[in-house]
Amino acid sequence: MADLRRIGIRLLPLVAALIGLPLFGQVVGEFIPDTGLDLSGTWNPLLHEDFPERIPGPELVNYSGLPITDGSRLWGESWNASRLTMPEHQCQVHVSPYIYRGPLQLRVWTERDPQSQKIIAIKNYISIYEQTRTIWMDGRPHPPTWAPHTWMGFSTGKWEGNILTVYTTHIKQGWVRRNGLPESDQATLVEHFIRHGDHLTHVSVLTDPVYLTEPLVKSQDFLLNINAAGNWLYPCEEVEEVAGRPRGAVPNYLPGQNPFLTEYANMFHLPLIAALGGAETMYPEFRKTIGNPPAAPTDPLALAEVTPRAEKNKSQNPNPTDGEVHILPVQGNIYMLVGAGGNITVQVGDTGVLVVDTGLAQTADKVIAAIRTLSKDKPLQYIINTHVHPDHTGGNEKLRAAGVTITGANVAGDIADATKGAAIIAQQTVQDRMSAASGNQAGGNQPAAPADAWPTDTFLGDRKTLFFNDEPVEILHEKAAHTDGDSIVFFRHSDVISAGDIFVTTGYPFIDLARGGSIQGELGALNNLLDLAISKHDEEGGTYIIPGHGRLCDRWELIEYRDMVTIVRDRILAMIKKGMTLDQVKAARPTMDYDARYGAEEGFGTTGQFVEAVYKSLGGK
Amino acid sequence: MKRVLLFLIAAVASLFDTAGIVYAHHSFAATYFEDQTVTIDGKLVQFLYRNPHSFVHVEAPDDKGVVQTWAVEWGAGGQLGRDGVTRESLKPGDHVIITGNPGRTPEDHRVRMRSIRRPATDTAAEFSWKGVVQ
Repeated sequence: MADLRRIGIRLLPLVAALIGLPLFGQVVGEFIPDTGLDLSGTWNPLLHEDFPERIPGPELVNYSGLPITDGSRLWGESWNASRLTMPEHQCQVHVSPYIYRGPLQLRVWTERDPQSQKIIAIKNYISIYEQTRTIWMDGRPHPPTWAPHTWMGFSTGKWEGNILTVYTTHIKQGWVRRNGLPESDQATLVEHFIRHGDHLTHVSVLTDPVYLTEPLVKSQDFLLNINAAGNWLYPCEEVEEVAGRPRGAVPNYLPGQNPFLTEYANMFHLPLIAALGGAETMYPEFRKTIGNPPAAPTDPLALAEVTPRAEKNKSQNPNPTDGEVHILPVQGNIYMLVGAGGNITVQVGDTGVLVVDTGLAQTADKVIAAIRTLSKDKPLQYIINTHVHPDHTGGNEKLRAAGVTITGANVAGDIADATKGAAIIAQQTVQDRMSAASGNQAGGNQPAAPADAWPTDTFLGDRKTLFFNDEPVEILHEKAAHTDGDSIVFFRHSDVISAGDIFVTTGYPFIDLARGGSIQGELGALNNLLDLAISKHDEEGGTYIIPGHGRLCDRWELIEYRDMVTIVRDRILAMIKKGMTLDQVKAARPTMDYDARYGAEEGFGTTGQFVEAVYKSLGGK
Repeated sequence: MKRVLLFLIAAVASLFDTAGIVYAHHSFAATYFEDQTVTIDGKLVQFLYRNPHSFVHVEAPDDKGVVQTWAVEWGAGGQLGRDGVTRESLKPGDHVIITGNPGRTPEDHRVRMRSIRRPATDTAAEFSWKGVVQ
């Protein structure tokens, strides 16, 4: 009893901290007072806590103890471990809410301002995947919603008594459990680091509006290691593990066809419903509902007959909500403008300015103002349109007028009137559609754009190149992806790709069948984008990709997006082969596991429109 | 009592000294049939001595006699190094006999290494390894 009281007293700060979770927040710009507490040192995890899951790894379809959504469960059941044999998945880092459960060595140190000795940050180096994590203690704000995500996320901390409490956002999509259960890129994390002498307790509270119905609380313990001579490196080099796999193939199980659905439940004599997880299975009351002895595992084929439920989109809008156009530095010569409809890429250098897309017509003045803050006195000389839609070409007329053609750069300066405005480059199909008489655009319903908004310099083939601002620029045409006039723009020196609407983070791909789009072309384009992008370290950094809409990405987001589109394609193709009508396919919710992240029931680019476009692209009648 | 508890914690920690553990980015239970064993007998095509796991690719017939390229997952460079296996231990073209756990996706022709043996030849000594890939 005395021991229990002692444990209770020790847990009091933890409980108090947990209760105080919603109160987390610090005044921006305010340094966190130095308490004199220090977590510095090398820490080793106590791996016997949940050892089977942590080291050998969890069994397939063991979702027990996790408050997952129905969408998460379907994601997991569809997941085939063979996916990890794909080179692009071999070096997937375990995200910050998951990584502390590995057999890591953890090094903690403090960084101080050399002048004031105030604590700027508490740093973690995690040997597994060689991750360096920064917990900012100087009161800086979290980045905007359109900033890139990383494996470790962006963390700020504060001392609460003797507890370091950390709040993390901007985490990449990763694992909740590495047997196929996803954690979305919408997740946030609150952690408490509690030191008792040589013992460190780490408590994490994961909130994921997309794949968890309630916060997931975990804890793990570490011991101080005063002789940390172990291995601090974990290089990961991707290789071709499985020979002969077709390009773009993503191993997955069609709904209801996972052959291992009941294996774990059978092995441990559990009712399948318990193995399938969910918040209700986490609490003691659940045992009363499963009988004694528990019911036998359910027939997986019977489960497949259950009508999937629609899930509402739970993700955060990544666009600014203040009506302003914002500038995000990317890398090299490149900036991203958000808040103008479609994202705009700006390349700035000694020669001048090049932009990719021009946003909506009504935001053009703000876009020009934003460009001028970057360009100073350098002229806007080139505009490239990734495709025809007005949220990407609406500003053409005004931006062109704000620019200039210069002999020696645009090369046409000695032609009469050619110096009027910037050059607008696009694949010929874009000009064909923008210039067609009202009502006559092939397959479209938009009126013709004003003549001054039309592309002035078109190309007929699949590739056009420029050398501008001391940088090679490749414009690569994708024939029938989002539309039939899509272009990818690759800034080879800056290592940035402007993807247009082939890739967005805000929803499913909008495949504009009326303007020549197709699922086959969309997937081909996504795989071409992947071929261009090279990560710096373990699928993070390196090539950055500016999507048509949404936040700045690197290769990992593109990988997960390509996987998602491929898996949905596979499901709909299988349904077509079974003779299902479009209505039947829509009712079967082939996108259910992704709807809470990408779905839309109304407005532009609904889930239904995506499913219909895939169905019709694949020949469904 | 407190001293005993601290001793136990330290003892457990030393049991799981992380310096010696090679962490799989995947779950072995999710990737392989751990309760099954398969033997492949064929020609080594490639030996990738790397982290987080090494691989050998072997051309060998499947149970129907059709020659396949098998991907056999082995230990990380660090684990193999401690076992005396080096990048030079095996050469392309070597005849090898491998036992291991088959992968859960048959068309991948994937195996988790349990043992490998290269019989002695006129130009190379016998080589063998047994162990648990972690």
